[in-house]
Amino acid sequence: MSSRWLGVGFLAPALVAVLFFFLLPVVMTVMFSFTNMTTATGITGGEYLLSKSRLRQLEAEGVSEETVERLESAGYQITEQGLAALAEEFGEDRADELREDYMGESFTARRDLERVLRNLNDDPIRRTRDRKAAADLFAVTILDERFPTEPAFRDALTESGIDPADHDALVKTAYTGWTWTTDNFKLLFELPATLRYAMNTAIYVVFTLAFNVGFGLFLAISTFYLPQHLANTFRTIWFLPRILPPVMYVLMWKWFTWDTGFISTVLSVFGVTPINWMTESALNAWTVVVLINGFVGASLGMILFSSAIKAIPLSMLYASEVDGAYRWDQIRYIILPQLRWPVLFMTSYQTLSLLTSFEYILLSTEGGPGGSTTTWALAAYTTALRNYGGNLEYGFGAAYALVLVIIGIILSVLYLRFFNFKELVAKPRIEQ
Amino acid sequence: MTGNLRIWPIVLLLGIVSAPLIIMYVFQVIESVAQPQPGTLMPGEINLHNWRFLWQELDRGRPSIWTATFNTFIFATTIALAVCALSSTAGYALSRLNLPGRPYFLGGLIILHAFPTITLIIAIFIVLQYLGLFDTLLGVILVKAALELPFGIWIMKGFYDTVPWEIEMAGVQDGASRFRVWWELVLPQVKPGLAALGIISFLQGWSEFVLPLVLAPGSETQVLATYMYSVIQDDAKLDFGLFKAIGMFYSLPVILVYLIFQKQLMNIYGGGTKG
Amino acid sequence: MTVLKRCTALVGVLAALTGPALAEDISVTVWAGGSNDSDSYRIDAIAMAADILEREAAILGEELNITVEGRRDFSGWEEFKQSVTLASEAGTAPTIVVTSHLDIAPWSQAGYIVPVEDYVDLDAWPLTDVYPNLMEIASFDGIQWGIPQDAESRPFFFWRETLEKLGYSEDDIDALPEKVAAGEYTLADMLADATRAVEEGIVEEGYGFYPRNNNGPDYAQFYQSFGGELLDPESGKLIFDRQAMTDFYQFFVDAAEAGVVRRTHLGMDGNQWYREVANGKAAFWHGGTWHYGRYETEGNDDFWGTIQFSLIPQGNENGRPNTITHPLVYLVMDQEDDRIEEVAAQLVAIATEPRINTLHAIQSNHLAVAQSQADIDLYRSSRWASEATEVLLGSANSQPNHLNYGAFSEAMYRGLEAAWTGSQSVEEAVAEVEAQLTTTIGDALIVR
Repeated sequence: MSSRWLGVGFLAPALVAVLFFFLLPVVMTVMFSFTNMTTATGITGGEYLLSKSRLRQLEAEGVSEETVERLESAGYQITEQGLAALAEEFGEDRADELREDYMGESFTARRDLERVLRNLNDDPIRRTRDRKAAADLFAVTILDERFPTEPAFRDALTESGIDPADHDALVKTAYTGWTWTTDNFKLLFELPATLRYAMNTAIYVVFTLAFNVGFGLFLAISTFYLPQHLANTFRTIWFLPRILPPVMYVLMWKWFTWDTGFISTVLSVFGVTPINWMTESALNAWTVVVLINGFVGASLGMILFSSAIKAIPLSMLYASEVDGAYRWDQIRYIILPQLRWPVLFMTSYQTLSLLTSFEYILLSTEGGPGGSTTTWALAAYTTALRNYGGNLEYGFGAAYALVLVIIGIILSVLYLRFFNFKELVAKPRIEQ
Repeated sequence: MTGNLRIWPIVLLLGIVSAPLIIMYVFQVIESVAQPQPGTLMPGEINLHNWRFLWQELDRGRPSIWTATFNTFIFATTIALAVCALSSTAGYALSRLNLPGRPYFLGGLIILHAFPTITLIIAIFIVLQYLGLFDTLLGVILVKAALELPFGIWIMKGFYDTVPWEIEMAGVQDGASRFRVWWELVLPQVKPGLAALGIISFLQGWSEFVLPLVLAPGSETQVLATYMYSVIQDDAKLDFGLFKAIGMFYSLPVILVYLIFQKQLMNIYGGGTKG
Repeated sequence: MTVLKRCTALVGVLAALTGPALAEDISVTVWAGGSNDSDSYRIDAIAMAADILEREAAILGEELNITVEGRRDFSGWEEFKQSVTLASEAGTAPTIVVTSHLDIAPWSQAGYIVPVEDYVDLDAWPLTDVYPNLMEIASFDGIQWGIPQDAESRPFFFWRETLEKLGYSEDDIDALPEKVAAGEYTLADMLADATRAVEEGIVEEGYGFYPRNNNGPDYAQFYQSFGGELLDPESGKLIFDRQAMTDFYQFFVDAAEAGVVRRTHLGMDGNQWYREVANGKAAFWHGGTWHYGRYETEGNDDFWGTIQFSLIPQGNENGRPNTITHPLVYLVMDQEDDRIEEVAAQLVAIATEPRINTLHAIQSNHLAVAQSQADIDLYRSSRWASEATEVLLGSANSQPNHLNYGAFSEAMYRGLEAAWTGSQSVEEAVAEVEAQLTTTIGDALIVR
């Protein structure tokens, strides 16, 4: 019994973290993907605002002409009620002067009324902010005023004498926040770009993975045949990309490939014009992207496979050599069969992480040239959070992300069934 | 390992394929202190001009590198501590304790381990905002630590699995509570694993780029990754010498950690984390 | 301007009327997008304004302490806008931002910014001195949201030596801007010249025409060159002109097919771009007026002897020679405390005074925002400032402040990119952009 409670207690902090930063975000991503949330709608919900440009849409929404006219022309009016408020806050004298000269008059724009207040003979209101406040006391119009809630907005409509039949349409148009929609998924299916991103992702995953596994195997097997110190040197060389900060690691690649960098400098000796080898063509960009990721991924293969090879009993290898087996045969018949499971594990594991990673692409080609290296995950990020115009489409970006979430869950469930659960659980172990 | 095979073809082959990396490393080090003529690879004059960012402002409107360094250090160490603390308890619970629904937790853990977390960043932003932790170091630390947790729990569970049951049995029979048994008998057994996990989490935190970029954009919360990125992206100048010196400065702790803890690192990455 | 805010404004007024004068500490943060060292006055001007405002307050017997903190180390416009947007959502927005006027529409709807007209007198100097069309660009829906911070345009450039090799006399070259303005030298002529320059080996392949390397307002200019209009003033809707869009994409595809520009030109490294155009590697290109200073940094200290500039030539008979001015604006972000907004707006107004703004204009090679800047010695001494103003600003228009313009321009650029790189045919690209825009912003779009 006590061990059960201890278990719950021990697990609880981790569960809270998982809840807040995995489960909750997943649920929210599902929600967002069914909204039209963008920069303009904001994330946290909207207010109710009738602006000039919204008035123009009203007739298309079926609002009567009379209502539009009324909303448009309301403006500011000098009334006793307003004057009383003015007298209270800005003094009787000012109110009197205004009453004398302007009683009953209307102003379409607040600025016109402000000019009057600025030019009062006796005691003009000097501070701009005070003038605005004073002018607002005479507001009849509800244009350009933000109402935090729907009831407040409806009340204001009623107060302004707007035909109740038009209220619903007005509420709908005036709302500045996001609404529910399935357009994101419609768009996802309709846009040819979707297919391109999917293809790019396939290219990225397949080639990087092939490089990781193939090169990881090569490194693991070749270093296995080397004396200890040599093997360690090469392992260090290939291990560093994994732990170096990505910003720094990609910088080295930029230096290596850019027009002022290593390749161009060396080739210019042979009369080749310096070019940016990273972004010169789509093929170049893909090569560099695959290598940047591959050099990082290969080290994982190298380590995994090396430890699997080490687990092969030496006697088996010696025996094969006594039999006069060539090195190639030894690799083929003894070593490779041993690596079947690690290779499968690495393939499935890295498929998932490659599908969702975009950091190295963002840092190197930024998805270019001409969008040719934009993968699905990068598209999700740029759609939702990073583009030149600052037009952040959270809803559409979430739809992209949701697709990845679904693929991720399906794949990992499949892996769970495919791999022996126990074996997976027993896998990560540190030898001491 | 064996005597009847020639080594040099392998070394040659490995040398050729490793050449790009070797060249990058060598010039990374040399050019951080050299002033090569444009269009040549000769180091030219050796001096510390590229390192000027350490004692003067690169340009106005940029936080000092020391703020960023301090932030990065706090960021990485806190993450390491948090991941170690939470993983050592949760890993133990999953490995040894009689927990309701334990297989489901294990299965869930594996799914989480391979989850597209980075694509959830918009939603994570909202969570942080509700917690009032957007644009704070603490907020990014929580997120990063949480994202590292599945890996940490996984590793720690593996370690606990190898601790002989007899140790715990003996403790329990002496009348100690499970908690005391864990704290006094089991935890010391997995110390090496905990140390390795701490190192890795530290390195992960030290390198992290996207999370601080999006979740902590203010100047008070810059880390070295975002600092270096913005210096590189500043389109007013392309100064690889400067970039490399900053890169050197940024990577030194990583290289030091590697030199000291080489063996542990190689081994724990065998468990697999980022791809 | 919510009801709530009107109330707090009143409370503030009452407090100001009745309360005793106490020392007031206000801290102001300024975030400037797209700014490097030469744009430091975008922030420094606010600091100078703070000093003046403090002195003014002191004379009135009030103690006002303003601390100004600036930040402009954003990696790019992308990161800047991401940061400002997310910070605004989270309520940790800076006080003042310097950004594109195009952000006014979405940010005002989202409630991230407050109108400067609530706090400063538009009928008073220095705002009356600002060019009215620039003030217009900084307003949206009849409300003055921001104050222009600088002006510029994105002209077409010619490398003189290349033109000479193509057979142009010096007089021809000097007359080019007028010919362009009159519609006598068109993009087709340019393409023919560029093709010849490549074929005759005067410039290398891919260097005949060297456009901007990434997304920017520059590309809307070419849409206009081929007869595209961005906004229908009648209905206030954006216009998707199928024919103009097709011709505009086709022009770049033709240029790529002729080997005049690389298929993968977009997305190339910016520094490389600057270096190459500054030193005559390209025959024709287009860029910002503020690049003037950059040419010198890149080793070209004889701009007038090596480079000619003009409007963007007309594309075909539907279009017109044009250029787009894309002023950055000072915007005041929504704060919990209205008093901070007020001080911020006042700082922005002071920073607009001619002498202060001229510091920025000349240091960063931008153009003046106010009429009387032309009388300031520093400004008058700059040949570039005056000539660029004369040749370009008269015909310059701006992109519309419209809620959906961000989506429009992003889609237009994506389509251009797809056609240019050849991943889609021109027709496919135009159709895709049209489909995307009708789905996303259909209500606010007119398709022609």
